[in-house]
Amino acid sequence: MKALVPIKRVVDYNVRIRVKGDGTGVDLNGVKMSVNPFDEIANEAALKLKEAGVISEVVVVTIGTAKAEDQLRSELARGADRGIHVVTDEEIQPLQAARILAELVKRENADVVIAGKQAIDDDNNQTPQMLATLLDWPQATFASDIKIDGGKATVQREIDAGAETLEVDLPAVISADLRLNEPRFIKLPDIMKAKRKPLDKVELSEFDIDVPKLEVVSTSNPPAREPGRMVKSVEELVAALKDKGLV
Amino acid sequence: MPKRQRDVQGLGLAALNRLAGSKALDKLGLKKPTEKALYQASRTGFKVAGTAGRQFKAVKNLLSPARMDKHQPTDLFDLTPTEEQAMMVESVRRFAEQALRPAAEDAEKHSEIAEEVWSGAFELGLSLMAVPEALGGAGSERSPISSALVAEALAWGDMGQALALMAPVGVANALAAWGNSDQQMRYLAAFAEDDPPDAALALLEPTALADPTRPGCHGQRDGNSAHWRISGEKALVPLGPFADLLVVSADLDGLGPRLVLIQGDSRGLSAKPEPAMGLRAASLGRVVLDQVRVAESDILGDEQAFQQAIALARLGWCALAVGTCQAVLDYVIPYVNERKAFGEPVSHRQGVAFTVANMGLELDAMRLMMWRATARAEQGQDFQREAALAHRYCADKAMQIGSDGVQMLGGHGYVKEHPVERWYRDLRAIANLEGGLLL
Repeated sequence: MKALVPIKRVVDYNVRIRVKGDGTGVDLNGVKMSVNPFDEIANEAALKLKEAGVISEVVVVTIGTAKAEDQLRSELARGADRGIHVVTDEEIQPLQAARILAELVKRENADVVIAGKQAIDDDNNQTPQMLATLLDWPQATFASDIKIDGGKATVQREIDAGAETLEVDLPAVISADLRLNEPRFIKLPDIMKAKRKPLDKVELSEFDIDVPKLEVVSTSNPPAREPGRMVKSVEELVAALKDKGLV
Repeated sequence: MPKRQRDVQGLGLAALNRLAGSKALDKLGLKKPTEKALYQASRTGFKVAGTAGRQFKAVKNLLSPARMDKHQPTDLFDLTPTEEQAMMVESVRRFAEQALRPAAEDAEKHSEIAEEVWSGAFELGLSLMAVPEALGGAGSERSPISSALVAEALAWGDMGQALALMAPVGVANALAAWGNSDQQMRYLAAFAEDDPPDAALALLEPTALADPTRPGCHGQRDGNSAHWRISGEKALVPLGPFADLLVVSADLDGLGPRLVLIQGDSRGLSAKPEPAMGLRAASLGRVVLDQVRVAESDILGDEQAFQQAIALARLGWCALAVGTCQAVLDYVIPYVNERKAFGEPVSHRQGVAFTVANMGLELDAMRLMMWRATARAEQGQDFQREAALAHRYCADKAMQIGSDGVQMLGGHGYVKEHPVERWYRDLRAIANLEGGLLL
């Protein structure tokens, strides 16, 4: 069974992001970039299934600039078998990403896609769902536990009311939530070995991604919160709320 | 410039300069006002020269801005870690953040590293990287820079545990660099096995004005044979109380100062805990050698190896200092920006802002000095001088940064609720300790 794990290069989760002065986006100059944490979890899940003998090959895929190769290498060092890098400087939106991935799933004949539930840069949470629809595969999102047995995947997911367990036929798209696992540390000797693992570069022009794009009108910091006001009694509180026309 | 062409401003300045230099003015108490006049004269003079400047006009038509070609970079001054090094740092840093940082308090309390931290570090491949592939390790090249980056990243998590983890790696590094094939087969291969030996480099001695280049441990020749009996003491040796293998410096009769491999169970060797102000997680210990018999085959490398070991150990301390100081800075900056006093963040006060800025400046200087010396070591150039300078500088500044870190937290700096007081105590070690680890 072959698993495809898409990963994305994003601003490191420790970085406090800054909006560009002209409001055209987030300032990425000199900012530390990392693998999207949910994608690390997805890869870890795939690697665990491989160690359990369920999956035979884990292929990591990224769509992005030449520098995204760093992130691909780091997931190869974590243990994935092979990498595919769709090279582009263009900003890729969820529907485009889903189309590229759908095409790669067909080319690779993958049996399961395990993806992060969302990327922490734009928080879209759309690509896995769109991918499942384009492939006409079942989907199980926000997984906190994955078991694969006999052509079926049993996925536990966290919902507002507690935990929900789904069973989906394979092939399927599964998206990983935070509590699915804790990704292993990348072993230093494996960093050297990752250099020798196969990594295919693919041109973006090979894919049909001519779809309408969302246009970002402006990016801004969240409005500053006004300081609260301390009141001494319930009466004062009620009066203050009335004053503001809230009750 | 011919005298004739001297302009009015020049003449005026010359006159005033002569006047300002005159002793008579001092006597008359007129020097200060005159100096002021001199300053003002030159200032207005230049201003006039500026406003009476030339006319600029375009002499050429440019279709696009003219830029000079980018200077072709050479590898003479490039501090960018390689891709692999960057990934190593990333991985070790994560280990430091998720495994060492949460375990730091307990490790200090018990004066020992937890078993799962040891096994985690082994899984990570710390000691494997120091053992050549031919001996079952994963090391393909010996790189003090990579070692320094790893030590730095570990120390960011906790300096005490970083020292304990790096001590065996240091012995493996020494064996890889200077060990003969017998020594490598006997000892080095063990560092690639599941439970690598507890080992450390023992250089420091508990005497006044101790100088690591002149070890007080003395090896007396045992009759006419190629054996020596070593006696002396080594202080504050990481993992000392239970070390399986020590690399000890000693002055051997007929040879001079050398590094000697001594097994922990050797006759005449005893060790006991020597708790210190900081670095307790590293299980520091006092090692006493009483007529410990060593053979010629136990001598590790030549005199140059002995000298280099001292310098590479100092650079190890610098790397630990840099990592720990980075932790202090990373802790203090958000704190002073969030902590409010008098209705605004304390970082709005210059007393705080300037101190934090200085911490950042000194830290960068420490790192650059350490990297320079380490890079020279890696390239096979002389580096003892650079290492000594870096060590001296790191000793002073690390102490200062640790102390300032505590100070920036105000009263909170003094309590154990925040790790900064521990970091300060750990950082005091840089000035005192020698040996222990080796890049």
